[in-house]
Amino acid sequence: MDKKFARRICGGAALAVAGTLALAACSSGGGSSSGGSGATTLKLVVADYGTGPSNASAKYWDGIVAAFEQAHPDIKVNVTSIAWTNFDQQVQTMIQNKQYPDITEGDYFSNYAQDGLLYSASDVLSDPGNLLQTFKQQGTYNGVQYGMPFTTSSRTLFYNKKLFAQAGITSAPQTWADVQTDAAKITKMGDVGFGLPLGAEEAQAESLLWMLGDGGGYQTGGKYTINSAPNVAAFTFLKGLVSAKDTEPNPGTVNRTDLWQQFAQGKIGMINGSPALIPIIQSAGVLQASDWTSVPIAGKNGPLTDTLGVCDNVAAFKPNGHEAQVKEFLDFAYQDKYQLAFDKEYDLLPATTTATKALSSDAVFAPFLTALPNSVQYPSNTTWATVKSKIQQTIGLAVTGSPMTELSQLQQMATTSAS
Amino acid sequence: MPAALRRLAPLLWLSPALALIGVVVLWPVVVMVQSSFQQIGGEGFVVGYNGTTNYHNLFHEPDFVSVLLRTVVWVVVVVAVTVLLSLGLAQLLHQKFPGRRLTRWALIIPWAASVMMTALIFKWALDPNVGVINVILHHIGVVKQYGSNQADWLGNPTSALAWMMAVAIFVSLPFTTYAILSGLQGIPGDVYEAAQIDGATSWRSYLGVTLPLLRPAILVATLINVINVFNSFPIIWEMTRGGPGYETSTSTIYMIDLKQSDVGQAASMSVFNFLLVIVIVLVYLSTTRWKEQVDQ
Repeated sequence: MDKKFARRICGGAALAVAGTLALAACSSGGGSSSGGSGATTLKLVVADYGTGPSNASAKYWDGIVAAFEQAHPDIKVNVTSIAWTNFDQQVQTMIQNKQYPDITEGDYFSNYAQDGLLYSASDVLSDPGNLLQTFKQQGTYNGVQYGMPFTTSSRTLFYNKKLFAQAGITSAPQTWADVQTDAAKITKMGDVGFGLPLGAEEAQAESLLWMLGDGGGYQTGGKYTINSAPNVAAFTFLKGLVSAKDTEPNPGTVNRTDLWQQFAQGKIGMINGSPALIPIIQSAGVLQASDWTSVPIAGKNGPLTDTLGVCDNVAAFKPNGHEAQVKEFLDFAYQDKYQLAFDKEYDLLPATTTATKALSSDAVFAPFLTALPNSVQYPSNTTWATVKSKIQQTIGLAVTGSPMTELSQLQQMATTSAS
Repeated sequence: MPAALRRLAPLLWLSPALALIGVVVLWPVVVMVQSSFQQIGGEGFVVGYNGTTNYHNLFHEPDFVSVLLRTVVWVVVVVAVTVLLSLGLAQLLHQKFPGRRLTRWALIIPWAASVMMTALIFKWALDPNVGVINVILHHIGVVKQYGSNQADWLGNPTSALAWMMAVAIFVSLPFTTYAILSGLQGIPGDVYEAAQIDGATSWRSYLGVTLPLLRPAILVATLINVINVFNSFPIIWEMTRGGPGYETSTSTIYMIDLKQSDVGQAASMSVFNFLLVIVIVLVYLSTTRWKEQVDQ
């Protein structure tokens, strides 16, 4: 057999093999790798609470990581920060593709616990009892706590006192009727009366605040009741507000971040917000401290006594098997000084008992802290992740179309996905 | 043995390419079809065989029909307008004029820029309060008031779709224009001379000579555009996310949204999309009698 030909065959075969290997290498890119010399790399995925590069959350975490890596030279931590709008989806894509993070900080969903993907709080924290008890239920699946609150906040109604004075309104809005008349007056002056963010970013929060106003909510006794009479009443009220043009146009397409910015620019009369709105107002520099204030959220017949308490959770993922390292890191990151630093940076509230005690004398934070124990929270069912994303996409249609039809579609979707 | 082996030799040379096509193109198709018959939750775990339930659920989604109709309108309008504009642009760039080289280069920009980036820029430019497009429209008196319903182009499904189509056309123009331009350059000059001698006007010779000879180029450009535009994702995702509700979703966006909650059903949507593209392409090829074109 001629030698040239044999070489050719070998060359071809080698190429084919090399090609296949390269492809195999591409397709197995998932998982986190351990470096040489026994160092472990943790993949930390966090939501970005910042309003720009100067206060990006990556900065906060980089600070913790630098101190942590100095104390633990055998553990490296890679921080990935993701904007809130994309957070759930990107984390979910990582999980669908089996490229598991080690730790996430942002939304937590019990379906991950259901699938056995998570370490429990007692696996990865030396003192899980220090986490605020108020939020324990929301992070609990089958009696075990998996979601570990990292930062908390409660919602209040912010209004622009300057615009109120110009419109001749003297008292804070307390009822839906107040909201309607006040919004109409402000709209008449050419500004937005009420900022209603029903776009995909946070539609589930804004909707719940209105549902609570008439005693409704997503669930009653653990069962979805999305199209209950109070909820339909709430959206019928909102529809009236929207069709009277007392809100920004097309609320179903408008995100919270954008409206908060506009409120900070002094262009919106009223908006539901969390303490995180405060730094946005301050950095915009348009409204002075005396130009705005925040009060309990308006309900149908009076201000809400229970408001929405939101906690963002840490979740620790099992598949990479870094239990000991995750525990080292979380114990480190949950120190009071880091909790307080986070709250100072973003005007949010702490999620541990010791940090709360340290803040309880603070004039700005104390009122929010006392409201926390009365707070209503999102459902903790394993179906919530799916239901929430559907709510975010479609609930905005309920203020342009028929509230009953849209809420019933969501209810049907929520109950069928519960099976 | 050498003789038999020798006949197999080309296979070895082809094998890297075949392996690539197999792994990158065919294997995903197999997995896609397989997934569409499985029950897969939002976390990507396969629960088991699901029969045709995914398809059944998909066809009974309340938004399914309107999403499909919108997809057809989206593809037809974007591709048709793109090809028409490109015919004109290519003709222009085929002329000799000072700065022609620069103009041709400039046309590459929308193509070279990331579509995601282009979509974002347009989204910002259309901001109801401060977007530059609204500022210009306000100055010439078209938009009466900032922040109004009229200025909120992306909030209203109809105007949002129109703007997104404009962006899709904008990013499709360069490729289409270049494809047609290269077709124009391949037409020999003596055909025009002959037409001129026969007394054809310039419009007549465009219809009678240029267009027929451009058919292969137009055919290829249209086909590639149809497939691209049908699967187009970044523009709609960045500008409206398919909202409000699903009122500006095409089938690709709808599939991405389904993937959030139900990977199996999203896979069945993908299979449906895949078949739809194949059908559209086959219908197009048969109506344009592509074999005759290619054999010419």
